[in-house]
Amino acid sequence: LSRDLFGPIEPRRGRAVRSPLVPGQGGWRQQEAPDESLSVSAVNGLAKQIIEGSIPPLRVHGEVTGWKRYGSGHCYFCLRDADAQLRAVMFRADAARLPTDPEEGMQVRTLGTVTLYEKRGEYQFVVRELEGIGVGGLWRLAFERLRLRLEAEGLLAAERKLPIPEHPAVVGVVTSPVGAVLQDILNVVSRRAPWTRVVLSPAKVQGEGAAEDIARALDRLVEAGVADVIIIGRGGGSAEDLWAFNEECVARAIARCPVPVISAVGHETDYTIADLVADLRAPTPSAAAEHAVPDRHAIAARLNATTARVTNALRRKVTQPLAEVATREGRLAARVQALHRARARELHHLSATLDALSPLSALRRGYAVPLADGGRVLRRRADFEPSDGFTLRVADGLIDCAVTGTRAADDGENR
Amino acid sequence: MTKQVPLEQRLRRLEEISQALESDDVELEDALALFAEGVENVRGAREILATAELRIERLIEDARGEPVLEPLTGAQS
Repeated sequence: LSRDLFGPIEPRRGRAVRSPLVPGQGGWRQQEAPDESLSVSAVNGLAKQIIEGSIPPLRVHGEVTGWKRYGSGHCYFCLRDADAQLRAVMFRADAARLPTDPEEGMQVRTLGTVTLYEKRGEYQFVVRELEGIGVGGLWRLAFERLRLRLEAEGLLAAERKLPIPEHPAVVGVVTSPVGAVLQDILNVVSRRAPWTRVVLSPAKVQGEGAAEDIARALDRLVEAGVADVIIIGRGGGSAEDLWAFNEECVARAIARCPVPVISAVGHETDYTIADLVADLRAPTPSAAAEHAVPDRHAIAARLNATTARVTNALRRKVTQPLAEVATREGRLAARVQALHRARARELHHLSATLDALSPLSALRRGYAVPLADGGRVLRRRADFEPSDGFTLRVADGLIDCAVTGTRAADDGENR
Repeated sequence: MTKQVPLEQRLRRLEEISQALESDDVELEDALALFAEGVENVRGAREILATAELRIERLIEDARGEPVLEPLTGAQS
């Protein structure tokens, strides 16, 4: 063994180590132990070089035990099966991508590399990717954990749901400025209610920082104070693509939003935390837009109905007093008529009386009136001159008479 | 322009007018005024319904971080 080989070792990742010590390269066991003594560091450095240089990235499955996430963001745990245990670490950058921490005893599948930590002389498995085995895996677990927490806070309660306004003037949209979602929403709104204003608050809807971006876009829309209703969503994708809508900051932004929120995330079968917190969950962005704005035809029909209603109401209002006038008029006429009849009866009676008083009626009863020439009434014996004639007025004519004599009557009326 | 009254307000007012007219305690003169107002609201609402152009804006932040609306064009079908 030459000194050069053990000389200052710069452990370099990925470099294949060519060494007579590599097993299989033959016969070193038979060789005598070298005279030279090595430092501990040198041994660990050599072991590191061998391990890291010869073991390619591996997929390892096993049960998680002793998971611990430190303040630094690094996570330490062990992977184990019935017979063995493997120390593992997941550094911050990779651990941050996990939807949640695995539970104790959870079966996981990992991808990583075996490394040696020289300070301790221990080897460990550095995990780059970790997913739960089973339905939904870690995503499912994270979803359930957050759902339970939000539920415990009452943020999913039905009483918290705000009613969706019937006729919003402005519809806010939180989604990606590119992509089909915005276009679908615009198509529906422009077909049903083209007088509506649509305000887009653009957000990154997947990838690193998407959740924070969505929450911020929603807050900004609230701050601007323009929207009457807000649609929040994105198109379909994998569980990981939709993940931003399962994050707590999005859920909280929706929960604190004073404007009604309609969620439309992924496809009809996808349920996210955002859907649970939203005031209304729509299966697709188009459906969300249909819930958000009314249909112009429905409003037109309603306007027609209202016009008829108002016209009828007014007609009733006008005809009712007219009918009342007619009734009063009728009553008045009847009274006038009654009065009239009474007067007529009175008149008749009066005329009868007058008739009775008329001299003609006396004549009809047989009385006669003697008249001198010139029409003077002859009332006394002295008015009659024996030589003169006179005329007698009877009911139906005049009688020429001559005086043949006069005498006093027996009734004592005259002297 | 009379068009500035939003649709929702017009529809709400129309509902109030309908109910008022259908109630018994409105005098004829008031009823006539309400009717005229109703006709005006129906006309205004129909005018809004006839709108053809969707208005689309984008909410962005200005240099001071204040929200600003800018018209969004090219996104409409």
